[in-house]
Amino acid sequence: MSMQKKNKPASKALLALTGSALSLPGISGKAAAADPVTETSIDYQYSNYREEDLPSSKHAGGDVERYEIDTHQLRVVRPWGDSYDVTVDLMYETMSGASPWFIMPGANGEPLQVMSGATIEDDRSDILAKVRKLYDNSAASLSLGYSDEDDYRAINVGIEGEWDLGSKQRTFTVGLGYSDDELEPTDGGTTLYPNRVTSAEKDSLSVYAGFTQVLNARTTVQSTLSFTRHDGFLSDPYKEAFVAGNRVQDNRPDGRDAIAWLTRLRHFVPSARGALHVDYRYFDDDWEIESHTLELGWHQNLPADWQLSPSVRYYSQSQAFFYAPYYNSARSDGFASSDYRLSPYGALSYRLRATKKIGTWAFHLGWERYTSEADLAIKSVRVENPGLVEFNAITFGISRHF
Amino acid sequence: MRLILRFMALTSGLFLLGSLNSGCAVKKVEAWERGELAREEMAWEPDPQEAAYRSHVYFSKEASSGGASAGGGGCGCN
Repeated sequence: MSMQKKNKPASKALLALTGSALSLPGISGKAAAADPVTETSIDYQYSNYREEDLPSSKHAGGDVERYEIDTHQLRVVRPWGDSYDVTVDLMYETMSGASPWFIMPGANGEPLQVMSGATIEDDRSDILAKVRKLYDNSAASLSLGYSDEDDYRAINVGIEGEWDLGSKQRTFTVGLGYSDDELEPTDGGTTLYPNRVTSAEKDSLSVYAGFTQVLNARTTVQSTLSFTRHDGFLSDPYKEAFVAGNRVQDNRPDGRDAIAWLTRLRHFVPSARGALHVDYRYFDDDWEIESHTLELGWHQNLPADWQLSPSVRYYSQSQAFFYAPYYNSARSDGFASSDYRLSPYGALSYRLRATKKIGTWAFHLGWERYTSEADLAIKSVRVENPGLVEFNAITFGISRHF
Repeated sequence: MRLILRFMALTSGLFLLGSLNSGCAVKKVEAWERGELAREEMAWEPDPQEAAYRSHVYFSKEASSGGASAGGGGCGCN
């Protein structure tokens, strides 16, 4: 649809046709319950993710050059008969660089990061296929996925149901997902890393339920609550902790229960010809990690089928109960982890995306800058983890619908 | 126990929200009034592919995960 067409005042009849032909935003993307996919679309996206080098003031050994990841994604969506549609997502990424290994105290007790010595090279492939069956006032979907790395394999399955609770103004959604993961860490059990496990397993089960509500002709809101249980080997086999002067393997509880409450609002402003996005997520788990995520986005339509979308995301988390940068003595429960992802911190990211449509083609270019530090956390943090990450991500995408 | 209590409180809040919405507070929006709601930029995820990528990045760099869907590949990046 061209920008010129969008600018013209639309008749009620035209809007009625548009409203029925296009789909309302649904729980998992563009389509809502009982609104069929009417055309085939193919999307390709390339992304380059690069972490900034560790500053020398926080570095105590190993390579300072951190991860760089190139990602290729392909997505195909197509209708299948009158009441089915199929979505296939492929992802392939290559990773290289050093990652945080363990933290040791400096001369004044300040935590210093030791990085992995040799550059890590790995690649990851992921496929996710989803089939959706549409009924008069509901939809059901089944998804199946497989993920493979040199040292990791996972298979996951998900089911989801959506019900229209009245004139497509309210939708109720419920879903269930299960993932079975196997790890075979590189160099596990060798003379170089005798304490690193040779193989391990974990599984995750998640359930979620939510409402989508149209508030008025320009505003819609969605609220979803999810519960996830992880069981098995949840430690990081490539990380160690510094305990009473000795290096020990990262060791975490073998169970983790978490809840997440996500609420999203979309509001269209006709005078500005733009849409406001507000997303808030509350997260809490039995490792005593509590987090808040707030994202604000604006999608501005511009002449000649251009669209500019700036957004800002704020994140803050508390630490896991067993985390410490390093340990002066061993914990009585034996847990130990100095992983920066379990430390208390806050993060701020800015993103800008430009989209251009030409007929049935669309192109987009995006950039994101992410910084994390202890001072950004909601609650004050006594000691900052030296391994906190800063990254830039650039994405380029091309898509076509038929 | 803390997690169970919070989960129960949030579940109650969610269903309370759902029941309030079914009352008289929300006016019915007719099909011909939904042109703006149906715009691409009004979707929960206008670009699901980019959303999946960003979700994967945050999942591998932060302690939190979970949202309005389940499934999808994880990674060996505990």
